[in-house]
Amino acid sequence: MAVTPTPTIRENTRIAHDICRMRVEGVPRGEPGQFFMLRAGAGMEPFLSRPISICDATAAETVFVYRTVGRGTERLSALRCGDALSVGLPLGNGFPLCAGEAVLIGGGLGVAPLLYLAKRLRQIGVYTCVYTGYNDETFLQAEYEEAAGELHAKNGGYITDMVDFSRPATYYACGPAPMLRAAARKAREAGARLYVSMESRMACGTGACLGCSIPTADGNRRVCKDGPVFDAAAVFFEDRV
Amino acid sequence: MKNRLETTLCGVKMKNPVIAASGTFGFGDAYAAYFDAARLGGIAGKGLTLNGSLGNKGVRVWETPAGMLNSIGLENPGVRHFAETECHRMRALGTAVICNLGGHSEADYIEGGRLLNDADMDILELNISCPNLKAGGMAFGMRAETAADITAKVKAVTHFPLFVKLTPNAGDIVCVARACEDAGADGLSLVNTFLGMAVDIQQRRAVFDNVYAGLSGPAIQPIALRMVHQVCKAVRVPVMGMGGICDWQSALAFLMAGASAVQVGAATFANPMAMCEIIEGLQRYCESEGLSNIGAIRGCL
Repeated sequence: MAVTPTPTIRENTRIAHDICRMRVEGVPRGEPGQFFMLRAGAGMEPFLSRPISICDATAAETVFVYRTVGRGTERLSALRCGDALSVGLPLGNGFPLCAGEAVLIGGGLGVAPLLYLAKRLRQIGVYTCVYTGYNDETFLQAEYEEAAGELHAKNGGYITDMVDFSRPATYYACGPAPMLRAAARKAREAGARLYVSMESRMACGTGACLGCSIPTADGNRRVCKDGPVFDAAAVFFEDRV
Repeated sequence: MKNRLETTLCGVKMKNPVIAASGTFGFGDAYAAYFDAARLGGIAGKGLTLNGSLGNKGVRVWETPAGMLNSIGLENPGVRHFAETECHRMRALGTAVICNLGGHSEADYIEGGRLLNDADMDILELNISCPNLKAGGMAFGMRAETAADITAKVKAVTHFPLFVKLTPNAGDIVCVARACEDAGADGLSLVNTFLGMAVDIQQRRAVFDNVYAGLSGPAIQPIALRMVHQVCKAVRVPVMGMGGICDWQSALAFLMAGASAVQVGAATFANPMAMCEIIEGLQRYCESEGLSNIGAIRGCL
């Protein structure tokens, strides 16, 4: 039986006006694209845990970068070192790793999980071209300067407009649904392979409740268990002409 | 350490009276990374419909104070798939297999019940209480006459002990419970979710496409407990009690109110280890109280 980990918070700071970074020890190391179900404290309120993607991880430490949008994430942001936190186990299927060259496209908070992917790809010798799109404040730029082979940042407008989809590369995208849809269309037109990390409201995070089901070309799929990373062609199949 | 939690429900032996509630544990594999499902008394699988369903569109889950609303709409692979595949996987888990059967029409329920005779399972749980279907579901459980009618018809075709899962949204749940017992139900499960609602105030519209959805979690626990108590006083068949159970103390309260077993649902979402903690807590309680079996406190009030 798996032992539910007892994590220790080492840092929990605001890195932009509504973005926080939490560094946690004592958590099993997940893969790029996976997520954890986080909850502050030991009680039952708020009732559901919050799915938060892995922004970076080593054997010793896991980093979460999250946006404060409601009760659950506000409470997470109020945690201090030593406070009780529950994270469960790493969940979902992460990004399939590629060889050769990779293009990573992050929009808003979507830049967070792609950082861990960029680092992992660099480790296995894949050249990464990273596009980061923001609406106001930028964050994680210093980390990307170090991790990415080349880095293109844009503040305002559509990041997908900057991306050249004709490179002989594997494409990865994470961000708001309209951005992913635009990326999927451009990748399809260029004949490029694109993986997207999807977002959906979740209750369990483990595939039990079916609250996060989305329609795909292969039938309904659970974002938490079958994803969150999917082949874009399967998710945005209805856009096909 | 002697197991003091063994429970027999309509001839089905269980290691303990703690059962994963339908719709919260998949077909038994969803929490495999957290614990071995063999620790549980039983698992009620995801609610089935005759031909399967893609479920509802739009938002499906929404957090509430001390609970959650859901409008999944019985997304499921259908009765045949369960009978051919899922039931065998569930059986291999080493715990009692409860099959939850929903339906859109009387014919659906009867045909579903008949087809499930080929499945490897222990108990048929007749779901006449799902609030998220456009047709059927809860409509059958709202009144004693329709509940009794469908109970009798499924009882006539099934080879398995038949538990009828009741809705707390019925005008008089005790009346519905009695009618189901009289119609041949071998046991009752209660309560399913309470009909609730949420509004997206930014968008100025209902959160759910169906407008109303099912409320579960600790928020409903005192009302569910009251209903289980009332029904247990009124019927002789065993009752699986549920509704907001989230720790061993609340599980024990349902057993004291007369339930023969408890089902745990939404609490598992908040705490994947909730059922294991409940089992351990009940075992410790029996030891400290000198009870040789948990059944000794059943219906003590």
